[in-house]
Amino acid sequence: MTTVPTAASVVLADIRKSFGSLEVIHGIDLSVTEGEFVVFVGPSGCGKSTLLRMIAGLEEVTEGEITIKGRDVTDLDPSERGIAMVFQSYALYPHMSVRENLAFSLKMSRTSVAEIDRRVTQASAVLKIDHLLDRRPGQLSGGQRQRVAIGRAIVRKPDVFLFDEPLSNLDAELRVTMRIELARLHRELGNTMIYVTHDQTEAMTLADRIVILRDGRIEQVGTPRQIYEDPANTFVAGFIGSPRMNLLRGRWVGPGRVRVSGVEIDVSMPVAAPPEGSEVEYGIRPEHVEVDRDARSGMPATVEFSEYLGGTRYIYTRLADGQNLTVEDRTNIAIENGQSILLSMPAGKGLAFNGSGGRIR
Amino acid sequence: MKTRSKRRARRAFWNGIAYHGVGLGTAFFFLAPFFVTILASFRPSAESGRPPLPPWPVTGFSFDAYHTLDGFGSGIWQHTINSLIVSLGTVVLTVAISVLAGYGFSRYRFPLKNVLFVLIIATLMIPFQSILTPLFIILAKLGLNNSLFGLMLIYVTLQLPFSVFMMRNAFDAVPKEIEEAARIDGARDIKLLVRVLLPLVMPGVATVSIFAFLNAWNEFLAALVLLSSNGNYTLPVLMTAVRAGRLGAIDWGAVQAGVTVMIIPCLFVFLLLQRYYMRGLMAGAVK
Repeated sequence: MTTVPTAASVVLADIRKSFGSLEVIHGIDLSVTEGEFVVFVGPSGCGKSTLLRMIAGLEEVTEGEITIKGRDVTDLDPSERGIAMVFQSYALYPHMSVRENLAFSLKMSRTSVAEIDRRVTQASAVLKIDHLLDRRPGQLSGGQRQRVAIGRAIVRKPDVFLFDEPLSNLDAELRVTMRIELARLHRELGNTMIYVTHDQTEAMTLADRIVILRDGRIEQVGTPRQIYEDPANTFVAGFIGSPRMNLLRGRWVGPGRVRVSGVEIDVSMPVAAPPEGSEVEYGIRPEHVEVDRDARSGMPATVEFSEYLGGTRYIYTRLADGQNLTVEDRTNIAIENGQSILLSMPAGKGLAFNGSGGRIR
Repeated sequence: MKTRSKRRARRAFWNGIAYHGVGLGTAFFFLAPFFVTILASFRPSAESGRPPLPPWPVTGFSFDAYHTLDGFGSGIWQHTINSLIVSLGTVVLTVAISVLAGYGFSRYRFPLKNVLFVLIIATLMIPFQSILTPLFIILAKLGLNNSLFGLMLIYVTLQLPFSVFMMRNAFDAVPKEIEEAARIDGARDIKLLVRVLLPLVMPGVATVSIFAFLNAWNEFLAALVLLSSNGNYTLPVLMTAVRAGRLGAIDWGAVQAGVTVMIIPCLFVFLLLQRYYMRGLMAGAVK
């Protein structure tokens, strides 16, 4: 981040959206600071695209208020909101050259020819598409098209950039390149950006803050580190991280102690502990589980199979009570399928969740 | 090695011959009537009554047939202009209405949309000859009988169901995101339609235009029934008069000349729009 977040750039106040009698967004409150890169992430159908389209003005707001730079834009036309949007399908105008595509919005707002020229040149230099200006979108590769789409957003000099899964149509390699490119762009332009994706790698790498959505509600808002290390509930814990966090059924047996599969494990002492004997879920990330063949204590497990990935290895195990647990192992001890091993879980790494999925803190 | 490549070359040669031979043969069957008609129209009047083989003028080219043709009705120019006014007017009105209707049916949600659309399409099943009498009466009430504008309105009406269907499909094929991007870029209403969407549905527009033009240009029955004064007749009506002959004698040369005159605008329109038209037919086929 280059700019120091000072003022609120986009504020959503109790935003609701209904299609007929079906409410899909249930009252969202969110404040995005100036220059921030915010990523909306969630499973498909969680309402993240709808929310973005409401900010863009492409979808009507049923209830609530959207403010951009202190101006109420809830009922304004998309072109008057100071936003620019990049679509998943690029949505370039196929009958116009790249230059005309870039210049279109400026022509619509009756910008002078000299100014249009200047901005198009500038944007195409930033995106390294200056040699493509006279081509048609049909003659460009996927990555080039995406650059043009981003260029079309840049020339408008918007207060807020909106991205709707912009990298989903690209192949894996190009996606990584463009991801880095986008991060660079954000650093250079310093604009507020709101980005929708279902790809958690994009969310983790690009975001200043991640907004995790499910079924039209915000589950958690936080920096990538907060989301990963301090998830608010089992949904967030399971959604971010690959392979996903192990969530094991257990019982609260005392202050800071959970019994899972017949073994007692330490978790950090909560402020508000649940009643003793209540059902809880114990969560631990695969990379925090340790395998030690020589250990004499720990949780017994049977190796089902393992995947070797070079630098690391995923071991899929089954516990004594039948629950599955994944281990990410970086030691190179020989392990065979069907072998019994002992696993240890460091006290500071495990998280406890109550019966309804909320974190026990 | 050498013999194999030689054999392959020989096979490619015969394949080429067969491929182009079939193509030429097919082209011959399609083009022959045009050549026969056009050549026959240049036969001098003395020759025009003779058997049609050989079809070309034997005793030198002459424009006799065209002069004779000009002697029918109010002169060939007058009738050509009548036909052009009606046909081009039909094209313009049909395109204007079907583009707007197609856009509406494709993009907006309104009550009874599908019922309305099916009703419009269903009118294709009504043979228009069966409603000629009511049409005649309606036009008379409107004071539009025996007027080219009235005839134009009839043609537009007959043309619309197909055209609206075609344009709706064309707009359906345009990704919604392009329209949304244009809205964010500040294009609204007419600007959005003309600057962004129209170029994208050009194949549909071309198809609709060609059909509207050809149907209006060649239509006979409605023109015969609704037009009553000689000076208003369109070319098909004139051509029947030519074909019916004078005092029982049919001037085949004049008929061929008339056919030639009638072909030219159709060819022109088709060649002008065929690039889009081909794509338009495809779009209609897979959608």
